[in-house]
Amino acid sequence: MSGIGATHIDHIVISSNNAAVVAETFQRNLGLEIKRTMTRPGTGAQLAFAKLQEVVLEFAGPPQPDPSAEVKARLWGLVLTVTDIAAAVERLRTLGYDVGEPKPAVQPGALIATVKSGTCGVPFALIQYNAIPTATPGVSA
Amino acid sequence: MLTKIHHVGIVVHSADEALKFYRDALGLPVTADKVIEDQGVRGVLLQIGNSEIELLEPTRDDTGVARFLANRGEGMHHICFESDDVAKELEAARDKGIELIDQAPRVGLAGMICFLHPKSNHGVLVEFATPIPGQHEH
Repeated sequence: MSGIGATHIDHIVISSNNAAVVAETFQRNLGLEIKRTMTRPGTGAQLAFAKLQEVVLEFAGPPQPDPSAEVKARLWGLVLTVTDIAAAVERLRTLGYDVGEPKPAVQPGALIATVKSGTCGVPFALIQYNAIPTATPGVSA
Repeated sequence: MLTKIHHVGIVVHSADEALKFYRDALGLPVTADKVIEDQGVRGVLLQIGNSEIELLEPTRDDTGVARFLANRGEGMHHICFESDDVAKELEAARDKGIELIDQAPRVGLAGMICFLHPKSNHGVLVEFATPIPGQHEH
């Protein structure tokens, strides 16, 4: 493998102090359709998602935004999809980059690993889908 | 109509240093590498799926990219949406009352481009682009 087997940008994170308002602004200004909203398990962060072809825009914000605060957002981080996260992590570590252990992502069956060095200030992660077998509803062993 | 994410722009101190990670380690191919004199930047595009990552290195100190780097350090700078008609997107944005940086499309690394003012999107800098056929391989 000459690279890490990255196939595409999985998602781009837009961080703000009010995810719902920022998502609504992007919907109004750019015509993006907000496909889904959710609360992140554990942290309670508010998330909204739009998708253009293969790339998801993730609008992230705190659990309880202050409605009186000026809404501020910024482009925050990038996640790339890889075909083999173990091999990708191993390659980057071999090259001297600091990469976290792959761990289960919010997306069912996916593993995600954070790249902690070399990214030029960009919070950066790799994700592999279908990395963990998931239970099929209605099917029992 | 916006059809896809064309690229995300990342401001860096040195494109050559950044390429060690984005090109050499990740294995992303470079599709364009050009100094844009009037904007005071070197821009490098790397392909990833149907999108690209654009590395932006300021080549002088009196530009927006240089000020971004001085004030905020390296990091994500803008997001570019592809359209088949950037002029139409610009007109639609103007009709919605969106504050613009560019009043008319201009030539950029990604083709015919224009920027919306970040104030209009809570601080996020948004670019529209219509690639020029043959301008670079993507």
